[in-house]
Amino acid sequence: MNGIGASPPRPDGFAKVSGAARYLDDLSLPGMWHGATLRSPHAHARIRSIAWDAALAPDGAVCVTVGDLPGPNGVQLIDDGWPILAGAFTHHVGEPVALVAAPTRLAAQQALQAFTVTYEPLDAVLSLEAAEALPPLYQLGMDSGDVDAALARADLVVEGEYRTGHQEHIYIECNGMIASYAEDGALTVLGSMQCPYYVQKALTHALGLADEQVRVRATTVGGGFGGKEDFPSAIALHAALLARACGRPVKLVYDRHEDIVCTSKRHPTLVRHRTGVTRDGRLAALDIEILMDGGAYTTLSSVVLSRALLHSFGPYRCADVRIRARALRTHTAPNSAFRGFGAPQVEFAIERQMDRIAHRLGLDPLEIRLRNAVAPGDRLPTGQILDAGTSALPCLEEVARRTRFRERRQELEAARARRAAEGDEDQNGAEPRRGIGLSLYFHGAGFTGNGERMMKSPVTARLLPDGRIEVLTAMTDMGQGCSAVFPQIAAAAGGLLPEDVTFAEPDTAEVPDSGPTVASRTTMIVGGLIARVTAALRDRVLEGLPGHTVRDGWIESPAGRVERFRDAARRLRAEHGPVELTLRHEPPAWQTFDETTYRGAAYPTYAWGADVVEVEVDPDTLAVRPLQVTAVCEVGRAIHPTLCAGQIEGGTLQALGWALLEEMKLEDGRYLNDRLATYVIPTILDSPRIDVHLLESHRDGGGPFGGPFGAKGVGELPMDGGAPAVAQAIENATGIGVPAIPATPERLLAWQRAGQTPGGVR
Amino acid sequence: MRPFDYARPATREQAVQLLAATPGRAAVLAGGSDLLALMKDGVVTPERLVSLQGLQGDHTLRFLRYTAAAGFRIGALTTLADLAASEVLRLEHPVVAETAGRLAGPQIRNVATVGGNLCQRPRCWYFRSGFGLLAAREGASLVVAGDNRHHAILGNDGPAYFVTPSTLAPVLIALDAEVVLLGPQGERTIPLEKLYRLPLAEGEREHDLGPGEILTELQLGPAAGRQVGTWEVRQRETLDWSLATAAVALEMEDGRVKRARVVLGQVAPLPWTSREAESFLTGKTIDEAAADEAAKLAVQGAKPLSKNRYKVQLARVAVRRALLAATGLDREL
Ligand SMILES: Cc1cc2nc3c(=O)[nH]c(=O)nc-3n(C[C@H](O)[C@H](O)[C@H](O)COP(=O)(O)OP(=O)(O)OC[C@H]3O[C@@H](n4cnc5c(N)ncnc54)[C@H](O)[C@@H]3O)c2cc1C
Repeated sequence: MNGIGASPPRPDGFAKVSGAARYLDDLSLPGMWHGATLRSPHAHARIRSIAWDAALAPDGAVCVTVGDLPGPNGVQLIDDGWPILAGAFTHHVGEPVALVAAPTRLAAQQALQAFTVTYEPLDAVLSLEAAEALPPLYQLGMDSGDVDAALARADLVVEGEYRTGHQEHIYIECNGMIASYAEDGALTVLGSMQCPYYVQKALTHALGLADEQVRVRATTVGGGFGGKEDFPSAIALHAALLARACGRPVKLVYDRHEDIVCTSKRHPTLVRHRTGVTRDGRLAALDIEILMDGGAYTTLSSVVLSRALLHSFGPYRCADVRIRARALRTHTAPNSAFRGFGAPQVEFAIERQMDRIAHRLGLDPLEIRLRNAVAPGDRLPTGQILDAGTSALPCLEEVARRTRFRERRQELEAARARRAAEGDEDQNGAEPRRGIGLSLYFHGAGFTGNGERMMKSPVTARLLPDGRIEVLTAMTDMGQGCSAVFPQIAAAAGGLLPEDVTFAEPDTAEVPDSGPTVASRTTMIVGGLIARVTAALRDRVLEGLPGHTVRDGWIESPAGRVERFRDAARRLRAEHGPVELTLRHEPPAWQTFDETTYRGAAYPTYAWGADVVEVEVDPDTLAVRPLQVTAVCEVGRAIHPTLCAGQIEGGTLQALGWALLEEMKLEDGRYLNDRLATYVIPTILDSPRIDVHLLESHRDGGGPFGGPFGAKGVGELPMDGGAPAVAQAIENATGIGVPAIPATPERLLAWQRAGQTPGGVR
Repeated sequence: MRPFDYARPATREQAVQLLAATPGRAAVLAGGSDLLALMKDGVVTPERLVSLQGLQGDHTLRFLRYTAAAGFRIGALTTLADLAASEVLRLEHPVVAETAGRLAGPQIRNVATVGGNLCQRPRCWYFRSGFGLLAAREGASLVVAGDNRHHAILGNDGPAYFVTPSTLAPVLIALDAEVVLLGPQGERTIPLEKLYRLPLAEGEREHDLGPGEILTELQLGPAAGRQVGTWEVRQRETLDWSLATAAVALEMEDGRVKRARVVLGQVAPLPWTSREAESFLTGKTIDEAAADEAAKLAVQGAKPLSKNRYKVQLARVAVRRALLAATGLDREL
């Protein structure tokens, strides 16, 4: 029932669906006040003065401005270049300029009126084109072989330019924090977050406190998708500064409008491709330029850019590759982590480029991919030799088989040819046009490059007085399901029953810094550690019992069951006092990566996927309806297949929203559709049927990488495949080229007029 | 949200008086699905809300009455869910019940009222972001210079460029519905079409509602053999407004159109009657060619703004398909 590959009910499920789960905004501390944030109305301005007229504020309200900061004005992430409050300048609309706290939320809102800020508006940089000429926030490059020579030799050189836009996370629970100081000056922060230790680090850095003086506890997290990786640190700082100023606990919770206005989005991206190919459709040279809109501050853009670079060549073989990647600075809120972390944008581009090449050569989209997809033992352009679990081809073949991709595509083409012959290609044909599209994608699991090696994340396990094992990690369950998967892993690794193991809440006062809940690393990296540390603690209990094992919660000798594991553990605990073990993650020795040349094994392993999407396009309005998605994903080993498939369904739908509906419209640096009524994401009625098929390359025990039972990270993988498959399906249905997303009716009609075709502009 | 007084009168007259007592500073609260959102965003800041939900006895406004001779009298507080569920409405005016049943989502339909739907405020993002209904700065429209992809293509000579938001209004206007308004001076009944007007200055409302006036009732005659059809072009399937809509009602005689009503939504600051299409259709038998021609005429006068040319095509498609739906030709194709 509970073993690896079973799908037990998730422990957090009932409380969440019944409404019993308490999220940050459901919590209240005695004497707690409420905070509010004064924000810049300008994309770029000099702040001439900030005045606070206490007479205008409700009784007792307190304010915090940049002059009140006790330490450096920077939110510590990778560096501390992101201001806590705007200083002499404001660099985006919605940037925090000052803070207030008051006894009620309403009073706090009213207290904002007590500020008078004089701004001197300055010119703002608001597009990638404008930013391109300016110094970037960050840049990277990678070279493999000799691209210029390979391009000169190629039979055909194909160029393409592909764009993707902002995407807002729309986690169900908006960002929020509660901060309170104890009398001894110790600070406790509660909130919705992915990374408790990031928040702690930001607090100690800016407030000049020691680690022991700052305790960060993650409350029930109502979704994150990357949107609770960096912003919680800033909001925690704001709440803490207010708590310090008013001497009471302070809650700072954003409503949806504020959350959309000021928090991060997915980086808008422009990718330029110049590809040399042979006549038979093999990639000979890839020349890639990536421009990402980083917004006003770097925050996590450097690492997003790095992952983008490392996925920009797609799951394809090519020896001669040049990649130049830049994160550019514009005057919008910093763009940052969002499921996929830069990979979906560049995989959209390479997939579109593959389609364009196929179109030029008269190949079908499946064929061009079959000819170029990587196989075990192949080298990526970074030089990494791919492991035996490399499953691009199995995914492609399986998805094509399940959907009869070739036959179906031929049927649709034949129907189109028939209609054309009957002269019914005019604008008024009433029948919807059907189209089919396919994509191939991959996602590096875990931190990029040497990230895991530098972190050496620890996980601790200890015996409780009742003989259960308690495992301590800093991971938060934001809905992805680690609270279900971790017990499965621990029980299976220790030979225990799920009830023999319990997990501590993510609280920096209790758990070690096992790293952030990001980068598809939770099951694979931390889960692997949980397996090892649980087994090690079990072995500690078995010490002095040679030849004994533990199965289903019982200690067994060769002769049979001896005693319940918990009884033996309880005895050991009683006799010896605390029994505790901590293990650290150690990447395999072969996984080395050079951060300057960008060569080497950037990830311990990759997860693979292929999607086929069928769409219907209204011939007159060009409104697109996705009808059916088939996703075949190779995940190593599905610990909990229901949750694993759930990740893939949800990620696929999020990708379809990005591809078809979601668009942040900007004017003078302001998001025009900064509400849920205007920023539309798919509803259940917009969701096609999504069939998920899991392939598991390592069913029979660990692969050549670190995941427990062979599991690879899957959280981000499904975000990579939906958009390019939809774009191809639209082209297939309409003959209109789709170089950008979202492919809204409005844009499709414009592309049609402009003569965009699958091969480029006519 | 700013603090406000809350009144819950028991009679219609009290409601009107409470509103008229502080003209311009009080607002009618029906289901609140639009008004409260506007207040939370600080776009409107009434000092007093007068709820119609506490009206008692004969004064209540949640009713749906039908007689074969006169048709429907529908109270302003009747919810969209009530409309969608009404058996008699489904039989007599299936298109109205279906339009109501498709609107927004179930939670909204359960609170949103007919009166609120007809009096809801435009979705223009400049208006919703606090730039005012006409969104003008120093005499120039922000819409014209800015992002106008969802704005008007017809009736957009200024100063209004927003589009009328209700999907119900075009259908009801095509069916010659009337509304009853109650104000300090008493009651008046006007064609629904006349409820909508072009505001000419900031501060003017896009509805012909005098100070203290409330909409109490919608009156909708019997179907009387009219052929009715609608089409909504939408981007998202639910919980979202359409990009363009059209409603058509045809009175037929001997297989020919005796009288046509063609009304478009989401394309102009008010529900847009296409006189061109109506007069073209009069006397015609409807086939695909006639539908094409009428659709073309309906958008002939369109003057797209810098970013909404695509809406001309969408509006044309909506009219054509509404006509085909009205005549059942869509099913035969
Ligand atoms: C996600 C979403 C999607 C939607 N999609 C659509 C759609 O596709 N098509 C569509 O038509 N609508 C749509 N709506 C709007 C919805 O139909 C309206 O919000 C609703 O009908 C308003 O009714 P209410 O009773 O809640 O009005 P309220 O919010 O109470 O009032 C709305 C306005 O009308 C005034 N008012 C209300 N009743 C009266 C009266 N009796 N007399 C005078 N003035 C009055 C109020 O003062 C206020 O200005 C959508 C709404 C949402 C939230």
